[in-house]
Amino acid sequence: MKNAEWPSVNSVIAGAYDNLLSPMVLFFALGFLAGRLQSDLKIPEGISKGLALYLMLAIGFRGGVELSHNSISGIMLMSLISAILISLIIPAIGYFLLRKTTSLDIPNAAAISAHYGSVSVVTFAAATAFLKGQGVSFEPYIIALMALMETPAIVSGLLLARRREKSLQKGGSHLFSREVLREVFLSGSVIILLGSFVIGLLTGDRGMDILGAVVERPFRGLLCIFLLDMGLLASQRFSGSERFGFRLISFGFYMPLIGASIGLLAGKLLGLSVGGSTLMAVLAASASYIVVPAAMRVALPQANPAFYVTLALGITFPFNLVLGIPLYHAIARMFIGS
Amino acid sequence: MQMYPKKKIEIVVEAVRVQRILEMIESSGGKGFTVIPQVSGKGNRGVRNEAHVNDVFRNVHIIVIAAEDVAKRIVQNAQPLLKDYAGIVYVSDVQVVRDQHF
Repeated sequence: MKNAEWPSVNSVIAGAYDNLLSPMVLFFALGFLAGRLQSDLKIPEGISKGLALYLMLAIGFRGGVELSHNSISGIMLMSLISAILISLIIPAIGYFLLRKTTSLDIPNAAAISAHYGSVSVVTFAAATAFLKGQGVSFEPYIIALMALMETPAIVSGLLLARRREKSLQKGGSHLFSREVLREVFLSGSVIILLGSFVIGLLTGDRGMDILGAVVERPFRGLLCIFLLDMGLLASQRFSGSERFGFRLISFGFYMPLIGASIGLLAGKLLGLSVGGSTLMAVLAASASYIVVPAAMRVALPQANPAFYVTLALGITFPFNLVLGIPLYHAIARMFIGS
Repeated sequence: MQMYPKKKIEIVVEAVRVQRILEMIESSGGKGFTVIPQVSGKGNRGVRNEAHVNDVFRNVHIIVIAAEDVAKRIVQNAQPLLKDYAGIVYVSDVQVVRDQHF
């Protein structure tokens, strides 16, 4: 018997169509196209970095305020633990696949897979904007999951890269130098995200009265401007992928699908809402291109950044933004039921 | 005017390594340095110019003027720090007016 709650095929296609023609995706496409055509269009670096800070501050703060309305629940704690586990496990899967299907050496395979265990804040922001456009709500603490998922993958990636080192097995050297720890825990984006989350949690509605006009209303518009810049950057990176070979490039497409499946399964097992499961899938599917590259450059300099930044930013990010988000949402609707 | 011969060491290095290089310059006896935080160019690691989003492809230009013995130490100590990183080190002769500053 057909499940009455399944969304019609038409509504799934309509969701994908809405996403393709949303200003966010169109501005991203504009940037990508301008970059491919070698236009001199540029977003000044200061504005771009400022917008990135704004997006993280707004996401963190809004998540904190939302959470201040709820008390801590069992499902929330289980979600936090699952998020950390997913972030730890995905690099191992990615590493295995890369080593089996490509000729990449250990450091490169480990560095790339670490990026896929971590998350992309902008992909997450675009997914929340997409859900808002669809009128779908989600559990506010998912934002806390994102902050937690930034770093465990770095630990996994480094363990995969170094587990054969004799000095490490004998306890002769440390997995993390002071420098790496600073990149991981004191990275600007981790501080602003967690800091604004805590401020939102502490100040609640009183804080939202003050910041609401800044972090709520302009959010999606500013995200569009940032995505224009991301389009330019992604096209720059994309041109580097021409020398990669089919197997490595296809990793950039199928790895997010594997991640999303794990995320959706976790959402189902945890009993999250459709919106929450969609975001869980987006988190597990997305790849970091800010925090992890910086950490890998310090901790694993033998790995070539042209590989990992190009895959994360030039292939997986556009894929998730344009096709992934509506796809994961459609599957969540069928799989979880609305 | 009296001029004094010195060495000018220039180090072009990727952003992530700058802090370590600057610490090394001071511990090698360098009394100061100039940092140009963002330069772009092309070398054996391809085009390096991207300064947005992450710093992985950003290059930094460091200039040090020092006496010859200090310059030698800096060049020597720079080598292990640049293993696996984008970096260029070169030295040239310069003349300065205020001898005691370098």
